[in-house]
Amino acid sequence: MFSFTVRSFFQKLVTLFFISIISFLVVYLAPGEPSQIDPLNPKFTAEDLQRFRQEFNLDKPLQEQYYLYYKNLFTGQLKSWKDNQPVLGKIYERFKNSLWLFIVGTLITWCLSFPVGIHAAIRRRSFFDRSTTFLAYVLISIPSFFFAYILIIFVVKTFNIPVIGMQTFGMSGAAGIYQVMDRVWHLVLPSILGALGGIALLSRYVRAQMLEVIHQDYIRTARAKGLSEDQVYYRHGFRNALLPFVTMFGLILPGLIGGSVIIESIFAWPGMGRMGYEAILARDYPIILTINFMAAVLVLIGTFISDLLYMVVDPRIRL
Amino acid sequence: MLIKKVLILLPVIIFVLLLQSFFWVPTYDEQVRGNPLRLEEFIIAAIGDARILNPILSADSSSSTIEAQVFDGLIDRDEELKFRGRLAAGWKIYEEVYFYFNPKAAVNGRIISGPETIRALLSQKDNITDVAIIPPQKGETDIQIAGPDTNGDGFPDPINLKVRFNAPHRFKVTLREVDQDFFTKMESVLGKGYFKTFQASDHVRIITEGHEDKLSAVAAQVLPATEHNPVIIFDLRKGVKFHDGHEFDSGDVKFTYEAIIDPKNLSPRVPDYEPVKYLEVIDRYKVKVVYKRLYFPAFGTWGMGMLPEHLLNPGAIKREAEAKGEDPAGFTLRDSGFNRHPVGTGPFVFREWKSDQYIVLDRHEDYWEGAPNYRSYTYRIVPDLLTQEMEFYGGAIDSYGVQPHQVERLKDDPAYQNFSGLSFGYTYIGYNMRRELFKDKRVRKALGMAIDTDKIIRYVMYDQAERITGPFVKQTDYYDRGIQPPPYDPEGALELLREAGWVRNSEGWLEKDGKRFAFTLITNGGNDLRKSILTIAQDAWKKIGIDVKTDIVEWSVFIGRHVNTGNFDALILGWSMGIDPDLYQIWHSSQSNQNQLNFVGFNNKEADDLIVKIRQEYDHDKQVEYCHRLHRIIADEQPYTFLYVGKWTAVLDRKIVIKEALPSGEEEIRKITPTRTGNYSFYFNKWIKLAENPVFEMER
Repeated sequence: MFSFTVRSFFQKLVTLFFISIISFLVVYLAPGEPSQIDPLNPKFTAEDLQRFRQEFNLDKPLQEQYYLYYKNLFTGQLKSWKDNQPVLGKIYERFKNSLWLFIVGTLITWCLSFPVGIHAAIRRRSFFDRSTTFLAYVLISIPSFFFAYILIIFVVKTFNIPVIGMQTFGMSGAAGIYQVMDRVWHLVLPSILGALGGIALLSRYVRAQMLEVIHQDYIRTARAKGLSEDQVYYRHGFRNALLPFVTMFGLILPGLIGGSVIIESIFAWPGMGRMGYEAILARDYPIILTINFMAAVLVLIGTFISDLLYMVVDPRIRL
Repeated sequence: MLIKKVLILLPVIIFVLLLQSFFWVPTYDEQVRGNPLRLEEFIIAAIGDARILNPILSADSSSSTIEAQVFDGLIDRDEELKFRGRLAAGWKIYEEVYFYFNPKAAVNGRIISGPETIRALLSQKDNITDVAIIPPQKGETDIQIAGPDTNGDGFPDPINLKVRFNAPHRFKVTLREVDQDFFTKMESVLGKGYFKTFQASDHVRIITEGHEDKLSAVAAQVLPATEHNPVIIFDLRKGVKFHDGHEFDSGDVKFTYEAIIDPKNLSPRVPDYEPVKYLEVIDRYKVKVVYKRLYFPAFGTWGMGMLPEHLLNPGAIKREAEAKGEDPAGFTLRDSGFNRHPVGTGPFVFREWKSDQYIVLDRHEDYWEGAPNYRSYTYRIVPDLLTQEMEFYGGAIDSYGVQPHQVERLKDDPAYQNFSGLSFGYTYIGYNMRRELFKDKRVRKALGMAIDTDKIIRYVMYDQAERITGPFVKQTDYYDRGIQPPPYDPEGALELLREAGWVRNSEGWLEKDGKRFAFTLITNGGNDLRKSILTIAQDAWKKIGIDVKTDIVEWSVFIGRHVNTGNFDALILGWSMGIDPDLYQIWHSSQSNQNQLNFVGFNNKEADDLIVKIRQEYDHDKQVEYCHRLHRIIADEQPYTFLYVGKWTAVLDRKIVIKEALPSGEEEIRKITPTRTGNYSFYFNKWIKLAENPVFEMER
């Protein structure tokens, strides 16, 4: 166990190093330059552009830029090119906003997928099973922005109630509980929309797992023992079907940083995904790279947690 | 079974918790009813957030929108797009010209021995207010000239030279009005060639060894025979206060200028102020700006927002760096907290900025022109167009960048008023005139005649555009409305092409000397309008027998590989323009190298002359005359097929009106009407929202 942790730590460190190089190269070698170096501003002379390149270290050799970038990142001195704000501060600010969407979205996804998937598996080929299958395919194949628009138009036109942003505009005078509830309300639509795709996928997955498990011998044994149906499905079946999902739990961690670009943009939600997207448009390399790097770190931590969890829940596995 | 119960109850509980919040949130109607102050708030939505709220550092439109409310410039443009004073109560423009006494030149057939005679000759002229003689000067100076590029960075390496000069008498002549033809006119007094025959190299010696061959270039730089120095004197408005109560004065103007040209600050405005020779504070309310050369567009740059010197001077910046625990040496204006909390003299005072959410401004009660009617101004960031529309319906925003098709939906709704006007920019097809194919202007004209631009405007632009025939802003008088665009006439186009030697072969393709008329038309990706035009042009040209391939290229590749290197046949692109008629960068033949903006390679001697004359002319009527001539040349040469100038559209709640206090003490309520040039928000500070829909006399 201890040796696994140490070994895995160093392996992941090496992986991280290569990821840092590749992501750095992808961003820096992609065509186009930061919007400050706007080649179509008629009044800019070559010397002016050169000054910007110097300021952003873009005139140095790539390896030196790489070194400077990571040095600044780890000493916390990295600043966004867009507004000269410290990158880590900006990311933390947005992270707090995205976190709520992530928590509520994940909660909805996992809480809804299990009952739906299990019920569909137990009542295989029933009307419920077929309609959820149909619905799942609909949800997977229709893009989420489309749903988002339909839902926004529906809610705004029917209830005449604001849904955009993190809170209703001009509510700052209201009592505390109203403000809290207002924020909760603004979470509802984007988190449900963000969760829809996940529910569709996860519930299918639960169903498949459950179906596989309830055809096992030990289920038959349990039935033969004369246990009630509920006990058979939930104590013997469900627990075993749960195993693969434990590993998945570690893998949802990176979703934190990716956020959901589309949902955040449509709902004017000031989150991570939107910041990353806007940074790409403005070619704000420090932000793009830092988000990229943090995502990589989270992926690696996620896989590590999955490994550990798997070991905890399944005693047969030794690492 | 516990697990089963948990599995069913948990989602139910979560959903009940989430959805019950619905009942706590007020609908829009309740919001306004319970909150009459909403009528005094103006909320505008935009797609992108501001970057940096400092007028000398920002270059994006969101930041400029906010800066326009928080800061004031010395001048701006009035309803007719003419300049008017803001922080400057008035200004005076005159000129100082310099030239050297030329001991070798003959005046009226006689060699003049001393400068006094020349002073006497000049003093009689009526545009001249003063002639001063600067005594001969001796000295040494360091000068930097451009040498060959040895380190391969694409820029010439500077060479530093030490130079000794022994200058003759110099004249400083003050003119009442700027006159770019001064020296030509003076030749009638001092004799032809008086200025040209001045040999600067007779008075200069290069001390640094090994560079003697550069003498004439260096000498002309050290002792220029003639020099135009236009001068602007600004009289500043007295008693104007910054938002923190500090009074605005000439020190702030000087500081703003110096902050821009300070290389540490990396201001994107540096090129605007490069022509300034020096800026001098005459007294607390008077500033003198002297320019190195005649350059009229430089005047407009004083619309730049003025920064508060007392908050940003080096001492203040240093204190801020120390307070933040950063190294003062590397801490510049760019890093200052001011950029996220600006203080200006404008009609609105900055209150709060939540990144990617909103920026809130409060009205400036002591604004020198009278406080605005609105109590606050909020800039909301809603990155999605449809959501903006939804918020507008609900009344959570008062104004947004409405799209033409959205205007269609709202046009007949009595709850809204809408505006539209011409924007400052145009879309065109440019032909690479360096390529043999496009060298003949008949060919370029024929290509334009084959395209039905009116149909493009109708079907691609939903009629939200107008035709344009030249490179000037259409609503200014620089634009000559008498010039007609080439007609849509495919037959005529074929006729022109035949004159140029292109005839249809048996397959129907145009051919000349056995070569087919074929080229590639490109544009950038991500612009659906240009994509549609690309297809329409290709189809129109195919119809007259031209084999056109098309390509859509990602923006940075488009600029880097095609536009900047001149590696294209024809392209579709747009220019956005300033009001100033300066066409130097885009149309002057000297600007047609790599990475420059005359990428079509337009080269016309007469046009070059006019372009230079226009930027050196300070008299509006003469400028207009030159512009009309230039417009005619460009329309005749057809280096571009000028397609259209787009329209902007805007929608407001009809309850928003202009409210103004009349001298009699009564209040007058007027409908918002756009100015002659189409600016509907010109009187923004007088806008207010009424609780009821107003009824105006005219409408009954």
